[in-house]
Amino acid sequence: MIARARATLARWRDPLPQARRSRIEAFGAIVQLTRPRALVFVDRDRARHLGLEGGAAWADPAADGELDRGPLSAPLEAHLQLTNRCDAGCAGCYTGANPAAGAGEWGLAEWRRAIDALADAGVFHVALGGGESAVLPWLGELVDHARARGVVPNLTTSGLAGLDRLLPIAEHFGQINVSLDGLGATYGAVRGFDGFARADAAIRALRSVKREIGINVVVTRANFDELPGLFAYARRRRLTEVELLRWKPAGRGAAVYQRLRCTDAQHRALLPTVLAATKRHRVRVKLDCSYTPMIAHHDPGPALLAALAVYGCTGGDFLIGAKPTGAITACSFAAPPPPLGDHRPTVTELGAYWSRPDAFGRFRAWRAPAEPCASCAYLPQCRGGCRVVSGHAGDLGAPDPECPRVVDHAARQPRERRHLTVV
Amino acid sequence: MRSHGRILATKWGMNPNSSSLGVDVTFLLVGMTAVAMATPIVGALIRWRRPAAQPPAGASAPSARSVRDA
Repeated sequence: MIARARATLARWRDPLPQARRSRIEAFGAIVQLTRPRALVFVDRDRARHLGLEGGAAWADPAADGELDRGPLSAPLEAHLQLTNRCDAGCAGCYTGANPAAGAGEWGLAEWRRAIDALADAGVFHVALGGGESAVLPWLGELVDHARARGVVPNLTTSGLAGLDRLLPIAEHFGQINVSLDGLGATYGAVRGFDGFARADAAIRALRSVKREIGINVVVTRANFDELPGLFAYARRRRLTEVELLRWKPAGRGAAVYQRLRCTDAQHRALLPTVLAATKRHRVRVKLDCSYTPMIAHHDPGPALLAALAVYGCTGGDFLIGAKPTGAITACSFAAPPPPLGDHRPTVTELGAYWSRPDAFGRFRAWRAPAEPCASCAYLPQCRGGCRVVSGHAGDLGAPDPECPRVVDHAARQPRERRHLTVV
Repeated sequence: MRSHGRILATKWGMNPNSSSLGVDVTFLLVGMTAVAMATPIVGALIRWRRPAAQPPAGASAPSARSVRDA
Protein backbone atom coordinates (compact mmCIF):
# COMPACT_ATOMS: atom_id res chain seq x y z
CA MET A 1 0.00 0.00 0.00
CA ILE A 2 2.87 2.36 0.85
CA ALA A 3 4.49 1.62 -2.51
CA ARG A 4 1.24 2.38 -4.29
CA ALA A 5 0.87 5.65 -2.39
CA ARG A 6 4.43 6.62 -3.32
CA ALA A 7 3.82 5.79 -6.96
CA THR A 8 0.63 7.86 -6.97
CA LEU A 9 2.41 10.78 -5.33
CA ALA A 10 5.24 10.54 -7.85
CA ARG A 11 2.79 10.68 -10.73
CA TRP A 12 1.07 13.72 -9.25
CA ARG A 13 4.39 15.50 -8.74
CA ASP A 14 5.74 14.72 -12.19
CA PRO A 15 5.09 17.97 -14.05
CA LEU A 16 5.23 16.75 -17.64
CA PRO A 17 2.03 14.74 -17.95
CA GLN A 18 0.22 17.32 -15.86
CA ALA A 19 0.96 20.25 -18.12
CA ARG A 20 -2.15 22.32 -18.60
CA ARG A 21 -3.65 23.53 -21.84
CA SER A 22 -5.84 26.56 -22.04
CA ARG A 23 -8.04 28.50 -24.41
CA ILE A 24 -9.01 32.14 -24.28
CA GLU A 25 -12.73 32.88 -24.16
CA ALA A 26 -14.65 36.16 -23.99
CA PHE A 27 -15.51 35.45 -20.33
CA GLY A 28 -11.88 34.59 -19.46
CA ALA A 29 -10.39 31.21 -20.30
CA ILE A 30 -10.84 27.45 -20.12
CA VAL A 31 -8.00 25.51 -18.55
CA GLN A 32 -7.64 21.77 -19.07
CA LEU A 33 -6.20 19.57 -16.36
CA THR A 34 -5.17 16.01 -17.15
CA ARG A 35 -4.85 14.96 -13.51
CA PRO A 36 -7.39 15.27 -12.12
CA ARG A 37 -9.29 15.29 -15.40
CA ALA A 38 -11.17 18.53 -15.63
CA LEU A 39 -11.94 21.58 -17.69
CA VAL A 40 -11.86 24.67 -15.48
CA PHE A 41 -13.68 27.83 -16.58
CA VAL A 42 -12.12 30.97 -15.12
CA ASP A 43 -12.78 34.69 -15.39
CA ARG A 44 -10.28 37.17 -16.82
CA ASP A 45 -8.58 38.02 -13.53
CA ARG A 46 -7.95 34.35 -12.82
CA ALA A 47 -6.74 33.87 -16.38
CA ARG A 48 -4.30 36.76 -15.99
CA HIS A 49 -3.15 35.22 -12.71
CA LEU A 50 -2.22 32.15 -14.78
CA GLY A 51 -0.27 34.25 -17.25
CA LEU A 52 -2.93 34.33 -19.97
CA GLU A 53 -3.88 37.41 -21.96
CA GLY A 54 -7.07 37.63 -23.98
CA GLY A 55 -6.26 40.44 -26.39
CA ALA A 56 -9.15 41.29 -28.70
CA ALA A 57 -11.27 38.48 -27.23
CA TRP A 58 -11.45 40.49 -24.02
CA ALA A 59 -12.40 43.79 -25.66
CA ASP A 60 -15.92 43.83 -24.19
CA PRO A 61 -15.66 44.43 -20.43
CA ALA A 62 -19.26 43.33 -19.89
CA ALA A 63 -18.42 39.79 -21.00
CA ASP A 64 -15.92 39.21 -18.19
CA GLY A 65 -17.04 36.19 -16.17
CA GLU A 66 -20.28 35.83 -18.17
CA LEU A 67 -20.08 32.23 -19.28
CA ASP A 68 -23.55 32.06 -20.80
CA ARG A 69 -23.48 35.35 -22.70
CA GLY A 70 -22.77 33.76 -26.08
CA PRO A 71 -21.38 30.63 -27.70
CA LEU A 72 -17.85 29.56 -26.85
CA SER A 73 -15.05 30.36 -29.29
CA ALA A 74 -15.03 26.67 -30.26
CA PRO A 75 -16.55 23.44 -28.96
CA LEU A 76 -15.11 21.71 -25.92
CA GLU A 77 -15.52 18.38 -27.64
CA ALA A 78 -16.47 16.91 -30.98
CA HIS A 79 -18.42 13.70 -31.45
CA LEU A 80 -17.10 12.00 -34.55
CA GLN A 81 -19.20 9.23 -36.06
CA LEU A 82 -16.35 7.60 -37.92
CA THR A 83 -18.53 5.03 -39.65
CA ASN A 84 -22.12 3.93 -39.78
CA ARG A 85 -21.02 0.32 -40.17
CA CYS A 86 -22.09 -2.00 -37.34
CA ASP A 87 -23.24 -5.62 -37.30
CA ALA A 88 -25.12 -5.44 -34.01
CA GLY A 89 -28.48 -4.33 -35.41
CA CYS A 90 -29.77 -2.76 -32.18
CA ALA A 91 -33.51 -2.07 -32.33
CA GLY A 92 -33.10 1.52 -31.22
CA CYS A 93 -29.82 2.53 -32.89
CA TYR A 94 -29.91 6.33 -33.10
CA THR A 95 -27.81 6.35 -36.28
CA GLY A 96 -29.61 3.49 -38.00
CA ALA A 97 -26.27 1.68 -38.34
CA ASN A 98 -26.04 -1.42 -40.53
CA PRO A 99 -23.41 -3.97 -41.63
CA ALA A 100 -22.52 -2.10 -44.82
CA ALA A 101 -20.59 1.14 -44.71
CA GLY A 102 -22.62 4.10 -45.95
CA ALA A 103 -21.97 5.96 -49.17
CA GLY A 104 -19.32 8.66 -49.02
CA GLU A 105 -17.90 7.72 -45.65
CA TRP A 106 -14.62 9.40 -44.87
CA GLY A 107 -11.38 7.49 -44.45
CA LEU A 108 -8.25 8.05 -42.41
CA ALA A 109 -6.91 10.96 -44.47
CA GLU A 110 -10.12 12.98 -44.16
CA TRP A 111 -10.50 12.31 -40.44
CA ARG A 112 -6.87 13.30 -39.86
CA ARG A 113 -7.66 16.64 -41.48
CA ALA A 114 -10.73 16.90 -39.27
CA ILE A 115 -8.58 16.37 -36.18
CA ASP A 116 -6.25 19.09 -37.46
CA ALA A 117 -9.17 21.51 -37.83
CA LEU A 118 -10.44 20.68 -34.35
CA ALA A 119 -6.99 21.07 -32.81
CA ASP A 120 -6.50 24.41 -34.57
CA ALA A 121 -9.83 25.59 -33.14
CA GLY A 122 -8.79 24.60 -29.61
CA VAL A 123 -11.09 21.61 -29.12
CA PHE A 124 -9.99 19.61 -26.06
CA HIS A 125 -11.60 16.18 -26.56
CA VAL A 126 -13.07 14.03 -29.28
CA ALA A 127 -15.54 11.21 -28.61
CA LEU A 128 -15.27 8.58 -31.32
CA GLY A 129 -18.29 6.47 -32.12
CA GLY A 130 -20.31 4.99 -34.90
CA GLY A 131 -21.54 2.56 -36.00
CA GLU A 132 -18.77 0.52 -34.48
CA SER A 133 -15.52 2.44 -34.79
CA ALA A 134 -13.50 -0.34 -33.19
CA VAL A 135 -13.63 -2.33 -36.45
CA LEU A 136 -11.83 0.38 -38.41
CA PRO A 137 -8.30 -0.81 -39.27
CA TRP A 138 -6.94 2.76 -39.08
CA LEU A 139 -8.48 3.69 -35.71
CA GLY A 140 -5.12 3.44 -33.93
CA GLU A 141 -3.47 5.79 -36.42
CA LEU A 142 -6.23 8.35 -35.98
CA VAL A 143 -6.01 8.13 -32.20
CA ASP A 144 -2.25 8.67 -32.30
CA HIS A 145 -2.75 11.66 -34.58
CA ALA A 146 -5.24 13.17 -32.13
CA ARG A 147 -2.78 12.70 -29.30
CA ALA A 148 -0.01 14.26 -31.34
CA ARG A 149 -2.22 17.32 -31.92
CA GLY A 150 -3.06 17.64 -28.23
CA VAL A 151 -6.65 16.41 -28.55
CA VAL A 152 -7.69 13.66 -26.12
CA PRO A 153 -9.51 10.80 -27.92
CA ASN A 154 -12.27 8.93 -26.10
CA LEU A 155 -14.34 6.04 -27.39
CA THR A 156 -17.72 4.38 -27.11
CA THR A 157 -17.92 0.78 -28.31
CA SER A 158 -20.52 -1.95 -28.21
CA GLY A 159 -17.80 -4.43 -27.31
CA LEU A 160 -19.39 -6.80 -29.82
CA ALA A 161 -16.82 -6.38 -32.61
CA GLY A 162 -13.29 -5.13 -33.14
CA LEU A 163 -12.07 -6.04 -29.68
CA ASP A 164 -8.90 -7.69 -30.99
CA ARG A 165 -7.97 -4.40 -32.67
CA LEU A 166 -9.02 -2.27 -29.74
CA LEU A 167 -7.17 -3.97 -26.91
CA PRO A 168 -3.64 -3.13 -28.13
CA ILE A 169 -4.51 0.57 -28.49
CA ALA A 170 -6.88 0.93 -25.52
CA GLU A 171 -4.27 2.74 -23.46
CA HIS A 172 -4.11 5.53 -26.03
CA PHE A 173 -7.65 6.67 -25.21
CA GLY A 174 -8.60 8.93 -22.36
CA GLN A 175 -11.74 6.99 -21.48
CA ILE A 176 -13.49 4.04 -23.10
CA ASN A 177 -17.09 3.19 -22.32
CA VAL A 178 -18.89 0.06 -23.43
CA SER A 179 -22.59 0.28 -24.20
CA LEU A 180 -24.45 -1.95 -21.76
CA ASP A 181 -28.19 -1.33 -21.60
CA GLY A 182 -29.04 -4.04 -19.11
CA LEU A 183 -27.91 -7.14 -17.31
CA GLY A 184 -28.69 -10.57 -18.71
CA ALA A 185 -32.09 -10.72 -20.36
CA THR A 186 -32.71 -6.99 -19.91
CA TYR A 187 -29.93 -6.29 -22.41
CA GLY A 188 -31.93 -8.20 -25.00
CA ALA A 189 -35.18 -6.48 -24.04
CA VAL A 190 -33.65 -3.09 -24.84
CA ARG A 191 -31.40 -3.95 -27.78
CA GLY A 192 -33.43 -6.67 -29.43
CA PHE A 193 -30.81 -9.43 -29.21
CA ASP A 194 -28.86 -11.26 -26.52
CA GLY A 195 -25.44 -9.63 -26.44
CA PHE A 196 -24.84 -9.30 -22.71
CA ALA A 197 -22.27 -12.08 -22.42
CA ARG A 198 -20.16 -10.66 -25.26
CA ALA A 199 -20.36 -7.10 -23.94
CA ASP A 200 -19.45 -8.31 -20.46
CA ALA A 201 -16.47 -10.22 -21.86
CA ALA A 202 -15.33 -7.08 -23.68
CA ILE A 203 -15.62 -5.00 -20.52
CA ARG A 204 -13.50 -7.50 -18.59
CA ALA A 205 -10.90 -7.64 -21.35
CA LEU A 206 -10.67 -3.86 -21.62
CA ARG A 207 -10.51 -3.44 -17.86
CA SER A 208 -7.59 -5.86 -17.78
CA VAL A 209 -5.53 -3.48 -19.93
CA LYS A 210 -6.89 -0.06 -18.94
CA ARG A 211 -8.21 1.57 -15.79
CA GLU A 212 -10.49 4.20 -17.33
CA ILE A 213 -13.27 1.92 -18.51
CA GLY A 214 -16.95 2.61 -17.91
CA ILE A 215 -20.37 1.71 -19.21
CA ASN A 216 -22.94 3.71 -21.12
CA VAL A 217 -26.52 2.84 -20.28
CA VAL A 218 -29.40 4.08 -22.40
CA VAL A 219 -32.18 4.34 -19.84
CA THR A 220 -35.58 3.01 -20.89
CA ARG A 221 -38.71 2.02 -19.07
CA ALA A 222 -37.50 -1.58 -19.52
CA ASN A 223 -34.25 -1.17 -17.60
CA PHE A 224 -35.00 1.71 -15.22
CA ASP A 225 -35.62 -0.61 -12.26
CA GLU A 226 -32.30 -2.30 -12.96
CA LEU A 227 -30.20 0.86 -12.54
CA PRO A 228 -29.00 -0.03 -9.01
CA GLY A 229 -28.00 -3.43 -10.34
CA LEU A 230 -26.00 -1.80 -13.13
CA PHE A 231 -24.10 0.29 -10.59
CA ALA A 232 -23.42 -2.88 -8.58
CA TYR A 233 -22.16 -4.52 -11.78
CA ALA A 234 -19.87 -1.55 -12.47
CA ARG A 235 -18.48 -1.85 -8.95
CA ARG A 236 -17.86 -5.59 -9.37
CA ARG A 237 -16.00 -4.99 -12.62
CA ARG A 238 -13.99 -2.10 -11.03
CA LEU A 239 -15.22 0.39 -13.62
CA THR A 240 -14.62 4.11 -13.23
CA GLU A 241 -18.04 5.40 -14.19
CA VAL A 242 -21.60 4.76 -15.25
CA GLU A 243 -22.91 7.18 -17.86
CA LEU A 244 -26.69 7.29 -18.20
CA LEU A 245 -28.21 8.37 -21.50
CA ARG A 246 -31.77 9.32 -22.28
CA TRP A 247 -33.44 7.50 -25.16
CA LYS A 248 -33.53 9.80 -28.18
CA PRO A 249 -36.06 9.63 -31.01
CA ALA A 250 -33.45 9.40 -33.76
CA GLY A 251 -32.56 6.74 -36.34
CA ARG A 252 -34.26 3.42 -35.60
CA GLY A 253 -34.84 4.75 -32.08
CA ALA A 254 -37.63 6.99 -33.36
CA ALA A 255 -39.79 4.02 -34.33
CA VAL A 256 -39.76 2.49 -30.83
CA TYR A 257 -39.50 5.75 -28.92
CA GLN A 258 -43.04 5.76 -27.52
CA ARG A 259 -42.65 2.17 -26.32
CA LEU A 260 -39.23 2.45 -24.69
CA ARG A 261 -38.84 6.03 -23.45
CA CYS A 262 -39.05 6.48 -19.70
CA THR A 263 -42.31 7.48 -18.08
CA ASP A 264 -42.78 10.84 -16.42
CA ALA A 265 -42.65 9.13 -13.01
CA GLN A 266 -39.32 7.51 -13.93
CA HIS A 267 -37.91 10.84 -15.08
CA ARG A 268 -38.86 12.41 -11.75
CA ALA A 269 -37.31 9.50 -9.84
CA LEU A 270 -34.09 9.39 -11.88
CA LEU A 271 -31.83 11.67 -9.85
CA PRO A 272 -32.59 10.24 -6.38
CA THR A 273 -32.29 6.73 -7.80
CA VAL A 274 -28.87 7.24 -9.37
CA LEU A 275 -27.45 9.28 -6.50
CA ALA A 276 -28.47 6.53 -4.06
CA ALA A 277 -26.86 3.95 -6.34
CA THR A 278 -23.63 5.91 -6.78
CA LYS A 279 -23.40 6.43 -3.03
CA ARG A 280 -24.06 2.78 -2.22
CA HIS A 281 -21.76 1.30 -4.84
CA ARG A 282 -19.14 4.08 -4.91
CA VAL A 283 -19.08 4.43 -8.68
CA ARG A 284 -19.11 7.84 -10.31
CA VAL A 285 -22.17 8.73 -12.35
CA LYS A 286 -22.56 10.91 -15.41
CA LEU A 287 -25.86 12.06 -16.82
CA ASP A 288 -26.14 13.15 -20.40
CA CYS A 289 -27.10 16.70 -21.35
CA SER A 290 -30.71 15.78 -22.09
CA TYR A 291 -31.25 14.85 -18.43
CA THR A 292 -30.64 18.37 -17.13
CA PRO A 293 -34.40 19.12 -16.84
CA MET A 294 -34.74 16.02 -14.67
CA ILE A 295 -31.89 17.24 -12.47
CA ALA A 296 -33.32 20.75 -12.18
CA HIS A 297 -36.65 19.24 -11.14
CA HIS A 298 -35.06 18.44 -7.74
CA ASP A 299 -33.90 22.05 -7.33
CA PRO A 300 -30.26 21.46 -6.36
CA GLY A 301 -29.68 25.19 -6.91
CA PRO A 302 -28.67 26.98 -10.11
CA ALA A 303 -25.33 27.97 -8.57
CA LEU A 304 -24.42 24.34 -7.87
CA LEU A 305 -25.30 23.23 -11.39
CA ALA A 306 -23.33 26.16 -12.80
CA ALA A 307 -20.30 25.29 -10.65
CA LEU A 308 -20.42 21.71 -11.94
CA ALA A 309 -20.92 22.80 -15.57
CA VAL A 310 -24.18 20.88 -15.77
CA TYR A 311 -25.82 22.01 -18.98
CA GLY A 312 -28.79 20.99 -21.04
CA CYS A 313 -28.61 21.39 -24.79
CA THR A 314 -25.17 22.68 -25.73
CA GLY A 315 -25.32 21.43 -29.31
CA GLY A 316 -23.50 23.82 -31.62
CA ASP A 317 -21.81 25.39 -28.62
CA PHE A 318 -19.98 23.15 -26.12
CA LEU A 319 -20.17 20.24 -28.54
CA ILE A 320 -20.55 19.44 -32.20
CA GLY A 321 -21.09 16.24 -34.09
CA ALA A 322 -19.83 14.99 -37.42
CA LYS A 323 -21.49 12.40 -39.64
CA PRO A 324 -19.47 9.62 -41.36
CA THR A 325 -19.37 11.86 -44.43
CA GLY A 326 -17.80 14.63 -42.37
CA ALA A 327 -20.96 16.77 -42.36
CA ILE A 328 -20.98 18.96 -39.27
CA THR A 329 -23.99 18.84 -36.92
CA ALA A 330 -25.02 20.54 -33.70
CA CYS A 331 -25.00 17.15 -31.96
CA SER A 332 -24.98 13.49 -32.98
CA PHE A 333 -28.78 13.30 -33.12
CA ALA A 334 -29.25 16.45 -35.19
CA ALA A 335 -29.51 16.65 -38.95
CA PRO A 336 -26.72 18.50 -40.78
CA PRO A 337 -27.41 22.19 -41.45
CA PRO A 338 -28.64 23.23 -44.90
CA PRO A 339 -26.05 23.30 -47.69
CA LEU A 340 -23.93 26.41 -48.11
CA GLY A 341 -23.64 26.82 -51.84
CA ASP A 342 -22.91 23.44 -53.38
CA HIS A 343 -22.21 21.39 -50.25
CA ARG A 344 -22.98 20.94 -46.59
CA PRO A 345 -20.36 22.33 -44.21
CA THR A 346 -17.96 19.69 -42.95
CA VAL A 347 -16.05 19.43 -39.72
CA THR A 348 -12.86 20.47 -41.52
CA GLU A 349 -14.60 23.81 -42.15
CA LEU A 350 -15.42 24.32 -38.50
CA GLY A 351 -13.47 27.57 -38.22
CA ALA A 352 -15.40 29.30 -40.99
CA TYR A 353 -18.82 27.86 -40.12
CA TRP A 354 -18.66 28.44 -36.35
CA SER A 355 -18.79 32.23 -36.49
CA ARG A 356 -21.66 32.47 -38.98
CA PRO A 357 -24.67 34.22 -37.40
CA ASP A 358 -26.97 31.42 -38.57
CA ALA A 359 -24.67 28.59 -37.50
CA PHE A 360 -26.56 25.61 -36.03
CA GLY A 361 -29.90 27.33 -36.43
CA ARG A 362 -32.25 27.02 -33.47
CA PHE A 363 -29.74 25.09 -31.38
CA ARG A 364 -28.29 28.45 -30.42
CA ALA A 365 -31.64 30.17 -29.89
CA TRP A 366 -32.27 29.06 -26.28
CA ARG A 367 -31.94 32.60 -24.87
CA ALA A 368 -35.45 33.56 -26.02
CA PRO A 369 -37.62 30.66 -24.85
CA ALA A 370 -41.33 30.19 -24.36
CA GLU A 371 -42.91 29.44 -20.99
CA PRO A 372 -42.37 27.65 -18.74
CA CYS A 373 -38.66 27.92 -19.61
CA ALA A 374 -38.72 31.73 -19.72
CA SER A 375 -39.47 31.98 -16.00
CA CYS A 376 -37.32 29.02 -14.95
CA ALA A 377 -34.33 29.82 -12.73
CA TYR A 378 -32.42 26.98 -14.39
CA LEU A 379 -32.72 28.31 -17.96
CA PRO A 380 -29.03 29.29 -18.30
CA GLN A 381 -28.09 25.72 -17.33
CA CYS A 382 -30.90 23.71 -18.91
CA ARG A 383 -31.31 25.80 -22.07
CA GLY A 384 -34.74 24.35 -22.71
CA GLY A 385 -33.79 20.68 -22.51
CA CYS A 386 -33.17 18.36 -25.43
CA ARG A 387 -33.76 19.94 -28.86
CA VAL A 388 -34.00 16.52 -30.51
CA VAL A 389 -36.84 15.41 -28.25
CA SER A 390 -38.56 18.77 -28.82
CA GLY A 391 -38.12 18.39 -32.57
CA HIS A 392 -39.64 14.92 -32.46
CA ALA A 393 -42.65 16.40 -30.64
CA GLY A 394 -43.07 18.91 -33.45
CA ASP A 395 -41.03 22.03 -32.69
CA LEU A 396 -37.26 21.95 -32.29
CA GLY A 397 -37.34 25.32 -30.53
CA ALA A 398 -40.06 24.43 -28.02
CA PRO A 399 -39.39 23.48 -24.38
CA ASP A 400 -38.47 19.83 -23.88
CA PRO A 401 -41.91 18.16 -23.59
CA GLU A 402 -40.64 15.57 -21.11
CA CYS A 403 -39.25 18.10 -18.61
CA PRO A 404 -41.29 17.71 -15.38
CA ARG A 405 -41.80 21.48 -15.23
CA VAL A 406 -43.10 21.49 -18.81
CA VAL A 407 -45.35 18.51 -18.10
CA ASP A 408 -46.80 20.29 -15.04
CA HIS A 409 -47.18 23.53 -16.99
CA ALA A 410 -49.05 21.76 -19.80
CA ALA A 411 -51.32 20.05 -17.27
CA ARG A 412 -52.35 23.45 -15.88
CA GLN A 413 -53.35 24.81 -19.29
CA PRO A 414 -56.99 24.68 -20.45
CA ARG A 415 -57.50 21.52 -22.48
CA GLU A 416 -57.98 23.32 -25.81
CA ARG A 417 -54.65 25.12 -25.43
CA ARG A 418 -52.60 22.02 -24.78
CA HIS A 419 -50.19 21.35 -27.59
CA LEU A 420 -47.36 19.54 -25.88
CA THR A 421 -47.14 15.84 -25.34
CA VAL A 422 -48.09 14.94 -21.79
CA VAL A 423 -46.10 11.90 -20.80
CA MET B 1 -4.84 43.29 -2.48
CA ARG B 2 -5.02 42.25 -6.13
CA SER B 3 -7.85 39.85 -6.96
CA HIS B 4 -6.88 36.44 -8.29
CA GLY B 5 -10.24 36.19 -9.99
CA ARG B 6 -12.88 33.50 -9.94
CA ILE B 7 -13.31 29.92 -11.00
CA LEU B 8 -16.67 29.95 -12.75
CA ALA B 9 -17.17 26.22 -13.24
CA THR B 10 -15.36 22.92 -13.28
CA LYS B 11 -16.38 20.15 -15.65
CA TRP B 12 -14.98 16.90 -14.29
CA GLY B 13 -13.85 13.90 -16.30
CA MET B 14 -13.81 13.15 -20.00
CA ASN B 15 -16.79 12.27 -22.07
CA PRO B 16 -16.42 9.08 -24.11
CA ASN B 17 -20.01 9.13 -25.21
CA SER B 18 -20.18 10.11 -28.83
CA SER B 19 -23.83 11.06 -28.76
CA SER B 20 -24.24 13.61 -25.98
CA LEU B 21 -22.43 15.64 -23.37
CA GLY B 22 -22.05 13.63 -20.17
CA VAL B 23 -21.55 15.52 -16.95
CA ASP B 24 -20.33 14.04 -13.68
CA VAL B 25 -23.10 14.69 -11.16
CA THR B 26 -21.57 12.70 -8.30
CA PHE B 27 -20.86 16.03 -6.58
CA LEU B 28 -24.59 16.59 -6.19
CA LEU B 29 -24.29 14.16 -3.28
CA VAL B 30 -22.15 16.59 -1.34
CA GLY B 31 -23.72 19.91 -2.26
CA MET B 32 -22.54 23.46 -2.75
CA THR B 33 -20.52 23.68 0.46
CA ALA B 34 -18.22 20.86 -0.57
CA VAL B 35 -17.92 22.26 -4.09
CA ALA B 36 -16.96 25.64 -2.64
CA MET B 37 -14.37 23.95 -0.42
CA ALA B 38 -12.89 22.15 -3.43
CA THR B 39 -12.58 25.33 -5.48
CA PRO B 40 -9.33 26.59 -3.88
CA ILE B 41 -7.79 23.17 -4.51
CA VAL B 42 -8.73 23.37 -8.18
CA GLY B 43 -7.31 26.89 -8.26
CA ALA B 44 -4.03 25.66 -6.81
CA LEU B 45 -3.86 22.83 -9.32
CA ILE B 46 -4.32 25.03 -12.36
CA ARG B 47 -1.74 27.42 -10.96
CA TRP B 48 0.69 24.60 -10.21
CA ARG B 49 0.52 22.93 -13.62
CA ARG B 50 2.83 24.36 -16.22
CA PRO B 51 1.49 25.44 -19.60
CA ALA B 52 1.88 22.83 -22.30
CA ALA B 53 3.38 23.74 -25.63
CA GLN B 54 0.83 23.58 -28.43
CA PRO B 55 1.69 20.53 -30.54
CA PRO B 56 2.38 21.61 -34.10
CA ALA B 57 0.51 20.37 -37.13
CA GLY B 58 2.04 17.16 -38.44
CA ALA B 59 3.51 16.31 -35.06
CA SER B 60 4.68 12.77 -34.51
CA ALA B 61 2.95 10.31 -32.22
CA PRO B 62 3.39 11.07 -28.52
CA SER B 63 5.51 9.14 -26.12
CA ALA B 64 4.02 6.21 -24.24
CA ARG B 65 4.19 8.17 -21.01
CA SER B 66 2.26 11.17 -22.21
CA VAL B 67 -0.37 8.87 -23.69
CA ARG B 68 -0.66 6.91 -20.50
CA ASP B 69 -0.95 9.88 -18.22
CA ALA B 70 -3.37 12.08 -20.05
